[in-house]
Amino acid sequence: MSNDVDERVVDEVEALKAILMDELIVRTNESGYPVAVETVVFPSTADDALQQYVCLTLVVELTPGYPDVAPDILLRNPRGLDDSVLGRIDREVKEKCESYRGQAVIYELIELVKEYLTASNLPSCQCAICLYGFREGDHFTKTECYHYFHSHCLACHVTSSEKSYQEELDKLPAWQRNQHPQSPCQVLCPVCREPIQCDMNMLSSAAPPLDVENARQFELSDELRSLQRQMAALFSHQKRRGGIIDPEAEDSKLLLVTDTTEQEGEDDPAGPSVLFPPAAPLFNSTSGSTGSSVPNRGDWRRGGRGGYRGRGNSGSHHNRHGRRHHQAAATSR
Amino acid sequence: MTALPRRIIKETQRLMQEPVPGISAVPDDSNARYFHVIVTGPEDSPFEGGLFKLELFLPEDYPMSAPKVRFITKIYHPNIDRLGRICLDILKDKWSPALQIRTVLLSIQALLSAPNPDDPLANDVAELWKVNEAEAIRNAKEWTRRYAMDN
Repeated sequence: MSNDVDERVVDEVEALKAILMDELIVRTNESGYPVAVETVVFPSTADDALQQYVCLTLVVELTPGYPDVAPDILLRNPRGLDDSVLGRIDREVKEKCESYRGQAVIYELIELVKEYLTASNLPSCQCAICLYGFREGDHFTKTECYHYFHSHCLACHVTSSEKSYQEELDKLPAWQRNQHPQSPCQVLCPVCREPIQCDMNMLSSAAPPLDVENARQFELSDELRSLQRQMAALFSHQKRRGGIIDPEAEDSKLLLVTDTTEQEGEDDPAGPSVLFPPAAPLFNSTSGSTGSSVPNRGDWRRGGRGGYRGRGNSGSHHNRHGRRHHQAAATSR
Repeated sequence: MTALPRRIIKETQRLMQEPVPGISAVPDDSNARYFHVIVTGPEDSPFEGGLFKLELFLPEDYPMSAPKVRFITKIYHPNIDRLGRICLDILKDKWSPALQIRTVLLSIQALLSAPNPDDPLANDVAELWKVNEAEAIRNAKEWTRRYAMDN
């Protein structure tokens, strides 16, 4: 074996050790001659490990005759990389080995893999806004709180937050609005509600995520249809027993309640007429005789949208209680 | 009909593939933004044994704005009014696009386990819940038995 010692190999491995230090593992034979080297390759992110979502162990088996013979390459423990990316790296690595015959290639291989990982350095979680993953070519944003969104999706969230903020502001009386002039809309992270800063110019120029564009259409399965039938049956059953809310009947009941409470002089200053205004029902659930209570879309627009905002109920309720609400499940992940 | 956003399709599929215990939600045949929902009354609550029908609608700008949800089955609860409307912060100003149909329905189920008469929507119910909780719970059980049972 010792006859096969090639100074070029010894020099190359020494140089690699000097560059990579303890990141390089060298396997040697019984005479101490290197037979294989391996290192874990990360994307280049200025050594910020938190921004590294993918990695790969590159194993270079120094075949007898290397560097005049191409080494054997193994790509081990790929993380966050799908098979197509891995296949491309494998092909490129082998091509490079061929073209570098007779020369030291290991450092070139490490650089090549690093380049690929940097290009494929994507978080493997889903975007909490569109519920799709991050694909190569997707523009995405990491918030200060380390949550990931497609830039396009986050732009929609920012625009929507600003719009609702302006709407709330417009509802305030002028004197209250003037109390905090120019206070800007603080956008919150959709996942953890931490305040976040966004560069809207950058966000809004991003294209929609690729997976969303390619997703399959939805079709009702037999299972769904059977569930629909069960629900319709339950609805009819509850309707027979008088268990279904009839918004129209409730409205006329409320008119009576208003009268009696006024006569009895109950101590509720707002009175039930404010708490239960005879408003248009939220859903037009009395229409349709099939037992399913589906509003047509037109009804929704009228009843759902205009009705929701215009209804006195939520307003009086919130004013009376200082905008307190139930603390419901956090959106923690 | 304009194309259904992919997110809605994905949520619907996930609701089928990984159903939430005690909650079923099925899109309507003619309107995929309208869901028929059944929430079972939580154990150890006055609503135990009840099957409550709700309707849930995803507005045009969902998930940027919250789904509209209301109870269809009558329920005796301080935070749900006679028209079935629900007082829940995540359905109003605490909405976030990271919430989903399943998280909304889980929150509503949690509200059944933990009524909050200090922040009422159904004022007469909340009043009784505060002054005579035992009687309010009896009423809630009675309503559940009368209106929300399957048999």
